[in-house]
Amino acid sequence: MASASSSDLALAFALAVTAGALASSLLLLVAIASLRAARRWRDWRLSRREGAWRDALHEAIDDPAAARLPAIGVLEWPAFLTLWNHVQESVRGDASDNLAQLLRRHGLDERVLRLLRRRSTALRLIAITALGHLREERAWAPLQEIAFAPGPVMSFAAARAMLRIDPRRALETLGPSIVARDDWPLARLGTIFQELGPAVVTPALLAMMLGRPRQGLARVMKLARFGHRHRIAPVVRAWLTSNAEPSVIAAALDYVEDAEDLAWAREAARHEDWHVRMAAARALGRVGDRDDLQVLLGLLRDPIWWVRYHAAQAVVRLHGLGEEELEMLHQGMRDAFASDMLAQALAERGRA
Amino acid sequence: MTHVVVALEWFFLLYFVLINLGYISLNLLAIPTLQRKIALRPLENLPPAYSGFEPPVSLLVPAYNEEATIASSVRSLLQLDYPEFEIVVVNDGSRDGTLAALQEAFGLEGFPEAHWRRLPAKPVRAIYHSRRHANLRVVDKENGGKADALNVGINASRYPLFCAMDADSILQRDSLRRVIEPFLDDPSTVASGGTVRIANGCTVSGGNLERVGLPSHPLALLQIVEYLRAFLFGRLGWATINAVLIISGAFGVFRKDAIVEAGGYRADTIGEDMELVVRLHRVLRERGEKYAIHFVPDPICWTEAPESMSVLKSQRIRWQRGLCESLHSNAGLLRRGGGGAAGLLAYPFFMVFECYGPLIEVAGYAFMAAMWILGQISGMAFAAFLGLAFSLGFLLSVSALLLEEMSFHLYPRFSQMGLLVVTAIAENLGYRQLVTIWRLIGLTRWLRGARSTWGTMTRKGSWQR
Repeated sequence: MASASSSDLALAFALAVTAGALASSLLLLVAIASLRAARRWRDWRLSRREGAWRDALHEAIDDPAAARLPAIGVLEWPAFLTLWNHVQESVRGDASDNLAQLLRRHGLDERVLRLLRRRSTALRLIAITALGHLREERAWAPLQEIAFAPGPVMSFAAARAMLRIDPRRALETLGPSIVARDDWPLARLGTIFQELGPAVVTPALLAMMLGRPRQGLARVMKLARFGHRHRIAPVVRAWLTSNAEPSVIAAALDYVEDAEDLAWAREAARHEDWHVRMAAARALGRVGDRDDLQVLLGLLRDPIWWVRYHAAQAVVRLHGLGEEELEMLHQGMRDAFASDMLAQALAERGRA
Repeated sequence: MTHVVVALEWFFLLYFVLINLGYISLNLLAIPTLQRKIALRPLENLPPAYSGFEPPVSLLVPAYNEEATIASSVRSLLQLDYPEFEIVVVNDGSRDGTLAALQEAFGLEGFPEAHWRRLPAKPVRAIYHSRRHANLRVVDKENGGKADALNVGINASRYPLFCAMDADSILQRDSLRRVIEPFLDDPSTVASGGTVRIANGCTVSGGNLERVGLPSHPLALLQIVEYLRAFLFGRLGWATINAVLIISGAFGVFRKDAIVEAGGYRADTIGEDMELVVRLHRVLRERGEKYAIHFVPDPICWTEAPESMSVLKSQRIRWQRGLCESLHSNAGLLRRGGGGAAGLLAYPFFMVFECYGPLIEVAGYAFMAAMWILGQISGMAFAAFLGLAFSLGFLLSVSALLLEEMSFHLYPRFSQMGLLVVTAIAENLGYRQLVTIWRLIGLTRWLRGARSTWGTMTRKGSWQR
């Protein structure tokens, strides 16, 4: 009796789950159809508008006063602004100013500012990017607030917009964050620094480096490649003489350009960190001479492949070593690792 | 007897409910991640800008008897949109003209290269450099299987990240850029995989995807729904809690140092791609290192699905054996306390539902059918059991279609979505059960300890131009 009722219960349970799953599936199918219909309607509407927007934007690049922007509905606004941002990303200088002027002339800058207060992440990101391209000073305070907030995406987008609005002021304001916030990807910071150019970023980079931050110095050292090398190099080379972190010494060795610093490079070739030894090999290859051959031959026997590779590259580039001498050096090598690596470097030089 | 029947009836019912609840939970985890992804599109779709800080990548292309397609595959890789990458093709002792095809297409010449032998592997016969493309090298080695070829590729690679892929993977120009993004955004990333989609029905020209379409072959259509389920909420759901246990061997990027320290690919397993990821979790957790394994939901890699029953069957048997090997050889992930979500949730889930699941599922169908035939349960009870299995399966497939609709919308026509819905229904009326039987065969072969070999996959490539 108990088994029969338990079996009935199992049947009821199975039927209930089946009904629930089928009802849920039906709801999801309705959701799919609705989403698809809404998307089709939106795409159809936008396809009629987008051509006219593109024409207006391209006309505005040459002459913003002549360009006629058709009326933009509330629902079309994000799509238009996305297109405007897209065109902005591919132009520079006057063309960018002209596109900004087009938006201002139609009073659309006010609408972009209002978008910043919306809850939607997508809309706010579109607005933040557009405000940067507009170089909209009135957005500075809210953008600064967003840039200092946690969360990498929105804060970084805001920082980028500030750097477009007023690069020098933004570098001053955001300097500590650039150094310390490791959730702001270096590759993305690099694209901004590259865009701003060495004249703008060099003073900020020097200020960051001279501050010798406890954390983030390695990041600054990497960004330093976007500054004026002749202004960055003296500061960086000074670190060769101090008891710096291996990453800092390795970075400093990349700035070794004359024989005055050779002694440091030779000493660094004995460093326990292989990144430093590798940087030393590269430095010796740039400015060393045949006196450095023994140091480099030592590095050719290094246990780390990359150190051996750069040592071999340095040997074949060393001033004062002729082709025959290099070949004799190769023939006389007893260490198989060193010999193979030098053979590779010689072959690579032959192909170059 | 009746008590036992009822108890087993409940057991199988609850098993089906539990496994599907697990998948629905993954679905719920995947939805917010996809929504965040959609919200970031205004930024992601802007023209890419490079700073030179993007980590350079070595693309490792293991090739075994790929004479017909290897040249076009490499040509498509050379067109990838990424600032710095090298292509290392590893010819794993092919018996056909793979090496000759490469030599002819890319002007290869022997080069005395001193590569770093950090991982043990079969001997390298020669290394060739291309005269035409400075970033293309070919390593010719003795046959040792895909894992061994990848280990040689790692040894020969020069960059800190490597991308393991199949020689016949079809990529988009931005595939590499998209899969690398987690490495830019999160320094603790050790691996990143992306969604693999079915290329049957698409238009592919010169190894590049030109137009997305649906195949006419029913077997390929069924696999499209299957892949949507597996990638859109399976892997994406696990990725949300850093518990992805599989990165497809067709396309995945890894931090080389982490892989070398973990011992590289295991050459004695059939599922080297999954085994490596499970081992990474185990090793990095044992060391107490902070790490992340990411999954990019964007469709970035396309592959040809088998349209023949026998090829599909052998593929699924191989996958199941690989899964069983990967889980059992890394049981430490479960035993050690600090296994995190990967050890405490994903590992037991995979062990119960993916590894031994086919056994319970097939037993469930067989038991219920036998009991109905023997008159121990009513026809109504048997039909209710089948209805439950069908409806839950259908619900999962439809939820995958909804995620696709919300996010990538690759099949934009109403007729295409209609076809996918019909396929989602048809999939549960025999196909899933058949795949479960093949998986059970894979499980039994693994239990018997059959030897692993390179998987043979007969590709038609009829959509290739």
